[in-house]
Amino acid sequence: MDARIKYSLLLVGIGIILAFLPFSATDSFRLKSDELLSKSTSAENSLSVDQVARMVNKEDSTMLLIDLREAGQFKECNIPGSINIPFSDLLNPWWEGTFNQKNIKKIFYGNGDQTANCAWSIVTGLGYQNNFVMKGGLNEWFKTVMLSQFRGEKITPLENALYEARFNARKAFTQINSLPDSLKKQYFKAKEIKQLKLDGGCQ
Amino acid sequence: MGPISIISEFPEWLNLLIAFFIGIGFGFALEQAGFSSSRRLAGMFYGYDTTVIKVFFTAAIVALAGSQLLSFFGLLNLKLVFVNPYYVNSAILGGIIMGAGFIMGGYCPGTSISALSIGKIDAMIFLLGGMVGAFLFMETYPFIQTIAMENYKGNMRIDEWLGVSSGVFTLLLIIAAVAMFWIAELAEKKFNRPDITSDI
Repeated sequence: MDARIKYSLLLVGIGIILAFLPFSATDSFRLKSDELLSKSTSAENSLSVDQVARMVNKEDSTMLLIDLREAGQFKECNIPGSINIPFSDLLNPWWEGTFNQKNIKKIFYGNGDQTANCAWSIVTGLGYQNNFVMKGGLNEWFKTVMLSQFRGEKITPLENALYEARFNARKAFTQINSLPDSLKKQYFKAKEIKQLKLDGGCQ
Repeated sequence: MGPISIISEFPEWLNLLIAFFIGIGFGFALEQAGFSSSRRLAGMFYGYDTTVIKVFFTAAIVALAGSQLLSFFGLLNLKLVFVNPYYVNSAILGGIIMGAGFIMGGYCPGTSISALSIGKIDAMIFLLGGMVGAFLFMETYPFIQTIAMENYKGNMRIDEWLGVSSGVFTLLLIIAAVAMFWIAELAEKKFNRPDITSDI
């Protein structure tokens, strides 16, 4: 047989194989159910509100807070440094670059625990690493950080540090959320720059 | 999982260094494939040498099939791969200008640099013309900006536009490539010219 015919048949054969392969590998769960179970039972995948408050105070650049509530609720109030990915929009390819950053701790929170836990399972199951849940969500944040008061006579250094962290986080929270809308918009735009860079290419 | 470099993860100098080495490899491959010869490139238009179309179609199907296989094995995340934004007007107008320049000068921008690096004088003149064109483009850009930016379609993908899976589109492109290879071979026979490359 002519070499040309051989190569043509080979190429078309490869094409037919490719046409039948499922190419949604990035959309499908990569973790097996037992792996996901063992990961979700580990205590290392959740952070307490106090841990998050300390990170907020340090303006820790290795963490990214992800608010899973709807845009309207997010606009009303959010923890300083967070970005808004509404839970219903979680699988939008636009967020791919956000989840794919291995070195950044992605901390999910919603009003309670439920949406954050669901989001954690989906994102972790898809094979992204370094995901966390803020235990108790915003309800817990309000209870612990915003409303906590010390009642007692003596304060230990440990308690003092804890209350100081909560107080500073509370201050940052109130400051950011009391900004006028236009400034808030600028603040969130500034946070988006990193995301836009991922587009790359030559434009 | 790929892509290997996400721009924000690598320092800029490292990105540029990688680009530099890829560029050298690309230029070397172009030169070795004979793309530094304006006769060979212009041959595409006259039908006596169809290396260009063969190389471009081969590159397209290798890249398409390869990236999809890598994605299938979970080694490359295709969602993170950059898709060029599609400006219809710019693509058509730019295509006509580029095509005219290509047939008149015998090079496209990349191959002219490849030919320049082996000391071809016509490539130097071609590149000078290209630079003048780039300068004129920059200077007149404010006037043509509205035309150039019209009909913006975003980061468009042909498979999504056709409504077929990327695998089926790969098959279609491979069939088109094989058909083009056969037509190209026929054209080479029909418009055959004596090889003069070795005489000069």
